[in-house]
Amino acid sequence: MPLLSLQHIIKQYGAYRASDDVSFNIPKGKIFGLLGPNGAGKTTLIRMITRILYPDSGNILFNGEQLTDKHTENIGYMPEERGLYKKMKVGEHLIYLGRLKGLSNAQAKENVLAWLKKFEIENWYNKHVEELSKGMSQKVQFIATVLHNPQLLILDEPFSGLDPINSKLIEEEIRAMSREGKTIIFSTHRMEQVEEICDEIVLVNKGRKILEGEVKELKQRFKQNKFRIAYNGEMNNALLNNLNVIERNPGEIVVKFEEEHRGNSLLKLFVEQGTEVSSFNELLPSINEIFIRKVNSEW
Amino acid sequence: MNKIWIIIQREYITRVKRKSFIITTLLAPLGFFALIAGSVLISTYPQGRTDVAIVDESGLFKDISFADAEDQTVYFHKVDDKYDQLATSLPKDKGENKKYSAIVYIPAGFNINNPNNPVIAYRYVERPGVMKKQFINDRMNEAVDKLRMKMLNINEDVQKQMQTKTQLDFSSLEDITEKKGYTEAAGIAGMVMGFAIYISLFFYGTMIMKGVQEEKTNRIVEVLTSSVKPFQLLMGKIIGVGAVGLTQFILWIVLIFGVNIVAGVIFGAAFHPQPMGGMGNVPAGGMDADEMQLIVNNISTLPFTQIMIFFPIYFLGGFLLYGSLFAAIGAAIGEDGDQQSLMIPVTVPIIISILIAVNVINNPDSSLGFWGSIIPFTSPVVMSALLPFRPVWWQIALSLGLLIGGFILTTYIAAKIYRIGILMYGKKITFKEMVRWIFARN
Repeated sequence: MPLLSLQHIIKQYGAYRASDDVSFNIPKGKIFGLLGPNGAGKTTLIRMITRILYPDSGNILFNGEQLTDKHTENIGYMPEERGLYKKMKVGEHLIYLGRLKGLSNAQAKENVLAWLKKFEIENWYNKHVEELSKGMSQKVQFIATVLHNPQLLILDEPFSGLDPINSKLIEEEIRAMSREGKTIIFSTHRMEQVEEICDEIVLVNKGRKILEGEVKELKQRFKQNKFRIAYNGEMNNALLNNLNVIERNPGEIVVKFEEEHRGNSLLKLFVEQGTEVSSFNELLPSINEIFIRKVNSEW
Repeated sequence: MNKIWIIIQREYITRVKRKSFIITTLLAPLGFFALIAGSVLISTYPQGRTDVAIVDESGLFKDISFADAEDQTVYFHKVDDKYDQLATSLPKDKGENKKYSAIVYIPAGFNINNPNNPVIAYRYVERPGVMKKQFINDRMNEAVDKLRMKMLNINEDVQKQMQTKTQLDFSSLEDITEKKGYTEAAGIAGMVMGFAIYISLFFYGTMIMKGVQEEKTNRIVEVLTSSVKPFQLLMGKIIGVGAVGLTQFILWIVLIFGVNIVAGVIFGAAFHPQPMGGMGNVPAGGMDADEMQLIVNNISTLPFTQIMIFFPIYFLGGFLLYGSLFAAIGAAIGEDGDQQSLMIPVTVPIIISILIAVNVINNPDSSLGFWGSIIPFTSPVVMSALLPFRPVWWQIALSLGLLIGGFILTTYIAAKIYRIGILMYGKKITFKEMVRWIFARN
């Protein structure tokens, strides 16, 4: 059973349809990418999952149950636009947010101390939020998101504005939580991160779902049978004339080859012609390319 | 409910711990103290002495006396000098010390039957203040009156009798404990309560609005609304700020009483209600000490039980009604400072209610007062001002019923605007849009 199931979600703002009959499942324990260009309707979907907004029609199931307010305590949400109360101290602020997620005062305090220790920032407990740098407050915001040990973590553009060190730290935490069996929704328009982190994705554009699937499977599905062959010495020109060469650089060519047993057949051709092949790769499309191709085909 | 409680705690504790709260709470009574001390000092501050020479060329006022001012600010001296002579001997500059600093000139052709042609002139070097001018003019009129009486052969005893005025004893038939001076006491108490609600609606209403704006501007609201309902957030904030207001009020009352006692000890006899009006026996609009005493005596006869019960209820009702509206405006405006015009529909009714309250103090039974005390947008201020005048029970009941209905309605409307407004960024909000939000589903 998926952890979260969206079924025919429609959300309309006046004449504008922010979610247009969107359905997809988010499997338990996976890192799930919610992708789309700016204004595609990602934040609207997230807000409906976090019960900030309600769909006009359609269903959202959480662990097979109708999603209600009680489930919000099992969800941790780090919005893209995030902030903290400047006048509060880090410790009391985190405890406050933890209590709003249903933790007792004592439990919240215990968790806060544990997380501060984990990030080696125990001495921030009594610091005022306004004293924190941007990077520092992002760490605090991340702790606020995971403090109540939620089953589902929703991170909207979690790396935006993060420096490389903090990015790495957060990425490691995301992976660690995934290993612990947590489900993570990772919303972004930056595709290179998706490939590194996500197991599955759904792609939305203009309020509609246009693609979904596992990252590996999608790359296979959208591959265009392109191969990059690097070689030493000379290349047999007669062979090249019979091939669809897309790109040619010194010591390297990119070929589009659509016969059966593509990889093996192609490599065999080169080997038989006596070319000294130093490397041979099938070029799989990046998620970014798939994304652009899909979005453009929508127009 | 539990979450509202957590929000109330945060709203309350973070505000009460702030330096600005501690400073305003401590400074306001000091300001009050400074105001009292200032008014005592000003009222006892020695005013400049004016010596007025009376040049009576008509000779009519030979036997008429001109009484000097009781507060030793004006002295009259009849002189035999000629006006022209005297005028040149007056000091040329303000600082110069001469025997006389002004002249009352009664021309030779002065006619008692037509005292304005030719007129009595007052010539000065140092411009007299409003009060002094009034005093001197009144004294001259008294002198003219005395002269008239004298010409009619009315002796001084009769003159005194004629000048003694009667003062009616106003008291209510319904309540025999209501004594003379009650209306004035009720008026003062009503004004104090009306103003207290008026000021706190603005002060704490703005505090709520700023709090909401802060949450929207720094974007924490999205995290909060993923944990609690916007309505819980709204209520938590309003009640939390309300509790801050209540705390501050109680502290102020305690501190002001404390300051009063201390001030009483320091200023001793000087610290007593000063007769308003200042200048001697100028009666215009001023109150004399006896009248003041009457009012003070009457304060104990005000309907305290009724006031103690209903004043806090109106305070709370008004606060809830306007607090939610201020929150809604804050949610709509957000960081956009130049949309203050959206506040007008909220601030105008509050200002109107204090205007009605001022009127009601003078006409407690007017229909304006009645409607003002019934309509929920004005009733918190107007009814508070009316409470010392013992409004009838059904008027209070009707007013309270409508106030409760009113704040349920405004809270409902405000919650709708708030819910959408706090998550709406980068867009100028219009009234039309807000109305659309009120009727929007979800």
